[in-house]
Amino acid sequence: MKKMEPENRGAFSRRTFFKSLGTVAATAATAQVTSVAAELEKVNAEKIIGPAAVPVTLKVNGEKLKLMLEPRVTLLDALRNYSSLTGAKEGCDRATCGACTVLLGDTPIYSCQKLAIEAQGVEITTVEGLAKNEKLSKVQQAFLTKDALQCGYCTPGFVMSVTALLKKNPRPNAADVKHACAGNTCRCGTHPRILAAALQAAGIETASKTEVIDYV
Amino acid sequence: MKAFQYATAHSADSARELVAGKGAYLAGGNDLLGLLKEYLISADLLVNIKSLPGLNKIEHGRKFWTIGSLVTVAQIEDDADIKKTFPGLHEAAAEVASQQIRNVATVGGNLAQHSRCWYFRHRDTVCLKKDGDLCYARNGENRYHSLFTGNTCISPVVSSLATIFASLEATAIVLRDGKETRMSMAELYQRAWENPLAHNSLSNGDLILRVEIPTARTRSAYLQASDKHAFDWALVSCAAAAEIVDGKLKSPRVALGSISPVPHQVEAANQFLDGKVLDEATATQAADLILKDAKPLEHNAYKVPLAHALIRRTLLKLKGEA
Repeated sequence: MKKMEPENRGAFSRRTFFKSLGTVAATAATAQVTSVAAELEKVNAEKIIGPAAVPVTLKVNGEKLKLMLEPRVTLLDALRNYSSLTGAKEGCDRATCGACTVLLGDTPIYSCQKLAIEAQGVEITTVEGLAKNEKLSKVQQAFLTKDALQCGYCTPGFVMSVTALLKKNPRPNAADVKHACAGNTCRCGTHPRILAAALQAAGIETASKTEVIDYV
Repeated sequence: MKAFQYATAHSADSARELVAGKGAYLAGGNDLLGLLKEYLISADLLVNIKSLPGLNKIEHGRKFWTIGSLVTVAQIEDDADIKKTFPGLHEAAAEVASQQIRNVATVGGNLAQHSRCWYFRHRDTVCLKKDGDLCYARNGENRYHSLFTGNTCISPVVSSLATIFASLEATAIVLRDGKETRMSMAELYQRAWENPLAHNSLSNGDLILRVEIPTARTRSAYLQASDKHAFDWALVSCAAAAEIVDGKLKSPRVALGSISPVPHQVEAANQFLDGKVLDEATATQAADLILKDAKPLEHNAYKVPLAHALIRRTLLKLKGEA
C-alpha cells in the first residue's frame, strides 16, 4: 500500500508540526549519537534521561524510525504524530477501546499505554505493515470479503488482534476469536462479521454475510 | 501526562535507589500510565524494571511454586503446568482485562494496582483516597463498592490475582529497605483496610519481587461475575482452594474480591468447611458465614446474593473432575 504523506494536505496541521520537529531534531542529533551509541548504552545503562527529547529508534514494519522523543511520548503518539503511520488509531487513549492495537514482536498491545522509549529493540508491526507488494494480508482480505466494517475506525485494531491470534493459533474456534478480540470495541456493532472474517482468514467458512451470528 | 525522566534499572537495589524521592516503578505500565494521564499521581522519574534479572520466571518446587513479579498475566494464562497444578490461577488470569493488557500486565502490577473507584479516578474529585475529607461514593453512586470496610473509604480491592492467591495461601515477597519481607495476601492489603489513603500495604520504594504458592491445595477454582461478558472488572470475584482427601475437604480457603479493600476471607467459614464433604448444603452454610456481616450500601445490595451464588458455585466447582 502507498504511504500517505500528511504533507499532501497542504495545510499546517498538528501532525505535520510534530513530525517536522521530530525529523529536524533527529537529523542533527543522530549524526552525533550513532557513532558512540553502542558504547554509551553500556556505560550509561542506568543513566537518567529526559524529560527533554532524547533519540529513540523504533523498528516499525521492517524499517528503522529515528526520532527525537520525550520519554512521556506514547508509542501511539510516536507512530501517528512523529511519523506518518496513522494506521493505528487513537480512540480512548486509556487502554480500553483497542483502536491503537499494534504488534510488539508477535503480541498485540495497546500502543496508547506503552511508552515509545520502551518499545525500542523489538519489531513493531502496525496495520501498514501487513500488506506485502500491494497485496492485502489474509486477514485484511477476509475483512473486505466479509464486509466486516462500517465506519472503519476500529478496523486496524481488530485486524491486528486477529492477525496475532492466527499466528498463535492458526485454527481458532469462535470462542477463541471472541477471547482474542474482547479488548477491541466496535461502536458500529459489526462484531458478527468480524468473527466471520477472522474464521474465514483461518480457512473456516461460516454462514453467508446476511445470516446473523450470535456474538454473545 | 506531565513530563518525566526515564531510566532503566538492571538490579533491584539500583531500582530502589533510582525510585527514591518522586520516582515510580514502570513494568506493564497499564495502571501507572492511566494514573499519570489523569494527573492522579505525579512522578518525576519512571524507573523501568522490566530488565531486572530473575523476576520473569515461573519456577516449580515440590512444596511451592515461585512466580516472579515480572511474569505477565498472559504467561500465567498460557502456562500448561499452571493450568494443571493451579487451575483457579489459570481461570483468574484468563479473566483479567483483555489480551492486549494481559500481554504486558505483570503479576506485581496486578497486585499493586490502585483503586478503580470512579470518584478516585476522576481527576476533579478530591476524595478520601486523595487526602480529601469526604467519601463521595458513600452517599453517591456506589454500585461497584465494598460490602465490608475497616475505614471510611469503601473502594474495594480489584486484583483478581490477589483473590486466587489468597485462597491458595500465597505469600508475596517484597523488597523493603533493602530487605526481603514476606506478606500474606491479607497483610499485603491490610493498610487499605485501615487507612483510606492506602491502596495496599506497600510504601514508597517497596517492590514486589515474587509470589510463592504452596502446592498443598491440589484443587482450586475461580469465578467472577461482571456487567460485561468479557474485558470487565468483577462485580464480585470468588476463589476457593483445598485438597480433597477421601471425599472430604482439607485446608479449604475461600476468598472474595471486589467487596472489601482486602481479599475477603472469613476464618470461621474455612474452619467450618474443613473435613466436610462438599455438597449444596455445606456450600450454602459456608456462604452464609462468609457474608454474615456484609453492610450493603444504597446501590450495591445486589452484591450479597451475587457473592452468595458465586461462593456456592466456586466451592462446588472444586469437586469437579479429578
